[in-house]
Amino acid sequence: MIAGPRPGRGPTGADAGRRRITAVAAAVTLGFAVVIGQLWYLQVLEGGRFLDASDRNRIRIRPVAAPRGILYDRHGVPLVDNRPAFTLSLIPRELPRDPASRDAVLGRLAALLRLPYEELVDAVARVPAESFLPVRVRRGLSLEDMAKVEEWKLELPGVIVEVEPQRSYPSSRFAAHLLGYVREATEEQLRQGRYRRGDMVGQSGLERLLDEFLRGRDGGQQIEVDALGRPVRVVQQTEPYPGAEVVTTLDRRIQEAAEQAMEGRAGAVVVMDPRNGDILAMVSTPAFEIDRFTGTIDREAWLRLVQDPDHPLLNRAIQSQYAPGSLFKVVVAAAGLQEGVLTPMDRVHCTGEFHLGGRTFRDWKEEGHGTVDLRRALAQSCNIYFYQAGLRVGGDAIARWARAFGLGAPTGIDLGGEKVGLIPRPRVRRGRSAWPPGDVVNMAIGQGQLLVTPVQVARFMAAVANGGVLWKPRLVQRVQRADRGVLWSDAGRVAGHVELAPAVWAVLRESLWAVVNDGGTGAAARIPGLEVAGKTGTAQTVANSRAERGEDHAWFAAFAPARDPEVVVVVLVERGGKGGQVAAPIARKILNAIFFERVAALEVHG
Amino acid sequence: MIGIDRRLVQNVDWTLLGTALAIVLASATTLASLQVARAGGGVALRQLAWAGIGLLALALVASVDYRRVVRAAPLLYALGLGGLLVVLALGRTVSGARRWVLLGPLSVQPAEFFKLAFLLTVVWLLTTRWAQPPGAAVVGLLLLVTGVPFGLIVRQPDLGTALMLLPVLAALLVGAGVRWRYLAGLGAVGLGALPLAWLALRDYQRERILVYLDPFRDPLGSAYNVIQAKIAIGSGQLLGKGVAGATQSRLAFLPERHTDFIFAVFAEMWGFVGCLLLLAGYALLLLRGFDIAAAARDPVGRLVALGATTLLAAQVLTNVGMVTGLLPVVGVPLPLMSYGGSSMLVSMLTLGLLLSVRMRQFQ
Repeated sequence: MIAGPRPGRGPTGADAGRRRITAVAAAVTLGFAVVIGQLWYLQVLEGGRFLDASDRNRIRIRPVAAPRGILYDRHGVPLVDNRPAFTLSLIPRELPRDPASRDAVLGRLAALLRLPYEELVDAVARVPAESFLPVRVRRGLSLEDMAKVEEWKLELPGVIVEVEPQRSYPSSRFAAHLLGYVREATEEQLRQGRYRRGDMVGQSGLERLLDEFLRGRDGGQQIEVDALGRPVRVVQQTEPYPGAEVVTTLDRRIQEAAEQAMEGRAGAVVVMDPRNGDILAMVSTPAFEIDRFTGTIDREAWLRLVQDPDHPLLNRAIQSQYAPGSLFKVVVAAAGLQEGVLTPMDRVHCTGEFHLGGRTFRDWKEEGHGTVDLRRALAQSCNIYFYQAGLRVGGDAIARWARAFGLGAPTGIDLGGEKVGLIPRPRVRRGRSAWPPGDVVNMAIGQGQLLVTPVQVARFMAAVANGGVLWKPRLVQRVQRADRGVLWSDAGRVAGHVELAPAVWAVLRESLWAVVNDGGTGAAARIPGLEVAGKTGTAQTVANSRAERGEDHAWFAAFAPARDPEVVVVVLVERGGKGGQVAAPIARKILNAIFFERVAALEVHG
Repeated sequence: MIGIDRRLVQNVDWTLLGTALAIVLASATTLASLQVARAGGGVALRQLAWAGIGLLALALVASVDYRRVVRAAPLLYALGLGGLLVVLALGRTVSGARRWVLLGPLSVQPAEFFKLAFLLTVVWLLTTRWAQPPGAAVVGLLLLVTGVPFGLIVRQPDLGTALMLLPVLAALLVGAGVRWRYLAGLGAVGLGALPLAWLALRDYQRERILVYLDPFRDPLGSAYNVIQAKIAIGSGQLLGKGVAGATQSRLAFLPERHTDFIFAVFAEMWGFVGCLLLLAGYALLLLRGFDIAAAARDPVGRLVALGATTLLAAQVLTNVGMVTGLLPVVGVPLPLMSYGGSSMLVSMLTLGLLLSVRMRQFQ
């Protein structure tokens, strides 16, 4: 017996033990009594007050949109930025409960801001009525509209205006196709489950390609609000994590110069560095208004854009295919020289006409060019010379060398929807394939079935400039963030080599110099103090007839300086007319901006 | 020794077991209504799984003679103390506290298990032959045995679990018939140590105590939990709001709503009547515990049962007290209700000790 009996205490040990247990049990009972008393007080006496408190107790969870990453040009100048913008949102939970007064609120809002009433109803119908999460109905609200909503706040329960970062662009149509527009996730994207409703997603161009990097991670705020929905305080906050920075290969100055030079024309410009494949500028006109496209655009405006006969959404630099016209003579010349079928010394007498099997093929110059050698034929773009040269080289060799220059194959540029172009194939007759001479003659001057894209031409011209290296066009140098360094980078990639003898390259470059500087078709691209080389092209459009001569597509593909090329500029003007008259002056403006305005700018800035 | 003696099986206390299982079911339904998602299935199912494992452990402990368990107490105590040291050295930190040790896929809270080792050790000290009658030497030894782990657990910091050691010690001293003046002396030492304890507390612990003393000291900061819990409980009123209407709980205004504050969730859903029923369940459990202690065949059994019952009672009263705003928030789970494997397992082991004593009361 440990807790043994002590004199004067309980009669037996067991009894004493029980008494002590009773003492402990009594203490516990007392505890229970106190707890039950407190519950009686809280739940029965004060219950009504606490019920009120729980009804008033609301916490609104507000997502805080992460600013999208910023895209920079090669010199660190921003191409797009973010600015704060007003977003109009509805909070389903705080709209009136009964349908009639809820519709009244939506109707009032629609009338106030001139919004389509159905869109507001749809937006609310898509989410559960219990949701605290704001549903965005309009982004980029004007200051005026914002003020109206604030003014009528008490009549508009469940309607809020928030400030969110939104894309801002240097100008309304700046690099629209290249950058791409950012809009709310589509129903299709929501179904794929990668995005939440209201997420801003890059829908085209680089914004789409790099969306994962650019989007960042949204933060959130738990906000306590009172019965009127007015925020009382922030209970808890998670900071948004901004998107990563993207350093592109573009040069904003050149891009702007190229866009300016194309003003009022439909077509495309590609500016490439032949030393590494960097795309310095890429323009497609007409462009869409990228700033109006970001955020919410009403259906009408969208339909207008999609159905526009000028196709402003199309990136003509990579998605439109044209006959190369006389640009292709460079390929024929290269093939003939390398295969030993042509020499620089061969001469042809051009009378302006060429007869083949009863058909007459004409030169663009009616009276002909007289006696021309290869250099002169390229410089003046003599068709008669290349009709004969084409027949001597043969369809197979021409097609093979066209492919070697990367035509008829995608360049692999990091933008979606690139078109492939087309190199014709021999016709198959009775199991044997053969090139009808008429096809070969047409192909030799870049007409017929041949199709190329401006970016393919840029890469091909870069190969001429750099001695045969075919680059994969590079648009993005790296993706980085201040806190984590470089996340992704593209060191540039050589896609292939065009193997021509050094003497052949020399002849080609010399001839292309002559195009601009020695009585050639590209004289309009001549710039004093800069050696420009290039080739003009005029692509007959499919349905053209003699009467519609002015509707040809005008090409000019140039590189400069001719001896040590730093840039390739390709200009295409749809239905512009002759390459030398329309495209070459545009190329000159761009080249001028690249080589001289830069110097001027440097001088001004010291 | 399992199942050899038929009287052992006949004396299983089915009321005790049945009541415990009813509380576990109340826990699972409450958790299910909260729909708190956790990796690897719903919290409710995991809670039931832990209860199942707990029942196995309970059967194991009940089948062993409690006297053998008490004899092993010093070893368990050493193991437990080792566990506490391991936690301090390389425990996992969750929201600022080092309470968990990873054992394979499980994270274990050694302090939870230490409570039982402590209980058995105190019983062992009070009942060894050289200890009778418990005099000044034993009381001094007990101070040491209590003080060291108390300090270690407070350091984690887990003030709640550490505090649970004190009522157990007090009840065992009373139950063992320690002279009142020793008890009074111990009480005086405890009071004298309060200022020291204040210095040892972490900032957030002090803040909680200050908030308890003055709830409107910071109504939107650290008093937030207490106020939200009070609103939840109070708004349940007499009959509760039911599962669907329990906005406080379901809309996540309540912090820790599936663990320490689960009583507030239950109170919001089922009101005063529901709370009375739940507390009646606990009261029944505790009454059986005191009954087992009173009917025990020997002093060892009596003290083991008394200690186990007191441990459960202290946790129930502290948890409900802190959730209803009667006590500072010290972080004590509600036995059998709060979600958590360690807590469930230890509650079941405690019940196992009670059963072990009950089954052998006529031997």
